[in-house]
Amino acid sequence: MLYLELLFQGIVQGSIYALIALGLTLVYGLLRILHVAHAALFTLGGYVGVIVTNATGSFTLAMVVAMITVGLIGVLTYKLAYEPLLDKPPFIALIASIALFIAAEEVFRIVFGPYGLSYAQPPLQGGFEIINGFFLKYAEALVICISVVMLLLLGWFSAYTRLGVSWRATVTDPDMARAFGVNIQNVRYLNFFVGSALAAVAGVLVALLNNLVEPTMGSVASYKALAIIVLGGLGSIRGTLIASMALGVIESFGTIYIGHLLDRDALAFGFLIIVLMVRPQGLLGSK
Amino acid sequence: MLKVDNLSAGYGDIIAIRDLSFSVEAGQILAFIGANGAGKSSTLMCLMGLVEQKSGSILINGQDISTTTVEARITNGLAIVPEGRRVFPDLNVHENLIVGGHVTEASIMKSGIDYVYTVFPRLAERRGQSAGSLSGGEQQMLALGRALVSQPKLLIVDELSLGLMPKVVDECYAVLETLKQNGIGIILVEQNTERALSVADEIRVLEAGNLVWSGTALDAKNNTALTQSLMGLS
Ligand SMILES: Nc1ncnc2c1ncn2[C@@H]1O[C@H](COP(=O)(O)OP(=O)(O)OP(=O)(O)O)[C@@H](O)[C@H]1O
Ligand SMILES: [Mg+2]
Repeated sequence: MLYLELLFQGIVQGSIYALIALGLTLVYGLLRILHVAHAALFTLGGYVGVIVTNATGSFTLAMVVAMITVGLIGVLTYKLAYEPLLDKPPFIALIASIALFIAAEEVFRIVFGPYGLSYAQPPLQGGFEIINGFFLKYAEALVICISVVMLLLLGWFSAYTRLGVSWRATVTDPDMARAFGVNIQNVRYLNFFVGSALAAVAGVLVALLNNLVEPTMGSVASYKALAIIVLGGLGSIRGTLIASMALGVIESFGTIYIGHLLDRDALAFGFLIIVLMVRPQGLLGSK
Repeated sequence: MLKVDNLSAGYGDIIAIRDLSFSVEAGQILAFIGANGAGKSSTLMCLMGLVEQKSGSILINGQDISTTTVEARITNGLAIVPEGRRVFPDLNVHENLIVGGHVTEASIMKSGIDYVYTVFPRLAERRGQSAGSLSGGEQQMLALGRALVSQPKLLIVDELSLGLMPKVVDECYAVLETLKQNGIGIILVEQNTERALSVADEIRVLEAGNLVWSGTALDAKNNTALTQSLMGLS
């Protein structure tokens, strides 16, 4: 029973990682930028979720508002911070991104206060029994469901719509995509909107699981998501999903079995180091 | 159909082509010949709006498209088969064709794709296969097919035969021949001079960005000095 419980905990955590890391992979795949500030959008999603839920009482509305506002702010981040730096070497954008992330944490502290926010009446409390003696919280079940739905939607969009297909074409060869009339600018906007909206979903869900959003909520997420996309083989969406799930599950089991040796957050890097020693290109990356 | 006057284009400060003038009629094939770096690809890419135009004009049926977007040029009937094929390797065959119809009305795209599958049955058989796993010849068919999805009136083809077996090249040129008969204008760059002289109606020779010889393919064939220097290129 413990195994099952640990496995489910791992999947819940892995789903959150996947939602966050996908945006990072999308940005990296398209622009070769390590978008560290992405984790700030995850935090912002948490704040918007809690604030809108507390103001309106509707968690669903909060989710939608968080996705849209954070998605738009993601587009704005691209427009203001990255677009002017596109013809500079990639580390310049990386530095800008780190600066933006630090600045965002300070802005959260100033605007929302240093101690964080909680749901006044946390939605989806309680849980249900899956099999004898094994309970899953509603909130955890929701995390898994929402992640699956989001990923299916994204998969459907990128495989079965003209825009989605052109989006993937742009990622592999932007100049050629342009030769067939694809508006590269719009693809970049779309990319940032989708990636940021997914991070917002993760933020709202983490705020629900912990019943807390703090200014620094994104710190751990930022470096873990970086570890995940490297693990997955930079730019590979499928690799990112596998790495997210693997890391979630490994952390969940590792905390119990080797937690006395290695801190939970250090496990991610232990895993990263081992995988990179065996497969330097990541789980699904090509050389 | 296409009329180009005093076209100059380049990359930043580099001028790749200077003061080119030429025109193409419906159902006509015009071939550019020239050494590596002469500016052939730059000319084709500039027509498509993918290389910066410095001066001159590009008229399609009397309308100047010099300052329009790539999208508008495709809508006006242009499409390109780029040098080196450049299919999207991660996308499957069918998806590559969909990108070819990105700006095209859904019904036209659909009949365009059907047409491509009819002329290249091999692509139809491999529609779900990733383009990166196709053979060089199949990739060239796909690159050609991708440009046909938008049902262009003027097809631009850069080095169709490069690195391909003669049989595959014949197959691709047979399709161009059909298109020509259907009244489509074709501009092509061909490093195989013999091939260029046999398929084209008009020949233009480029040297270091300048047009150094213009005339019909027949005149070119009868000009021994010219053919000898051209054969030296391929
Ligand atoms: N992206 C670029 N940036 C700068 N200069 C370029 C670029 N592409 C081409 N050039 C230059 O423009 C000139 C013409 O190149 P272009 O590719 O048009 O020649 P080409 O006739 O197609 O040659 P090839 O037979 O090798 O394909 C060359 O001097 C080349 O160095
Ligand atoms: Mg060329």
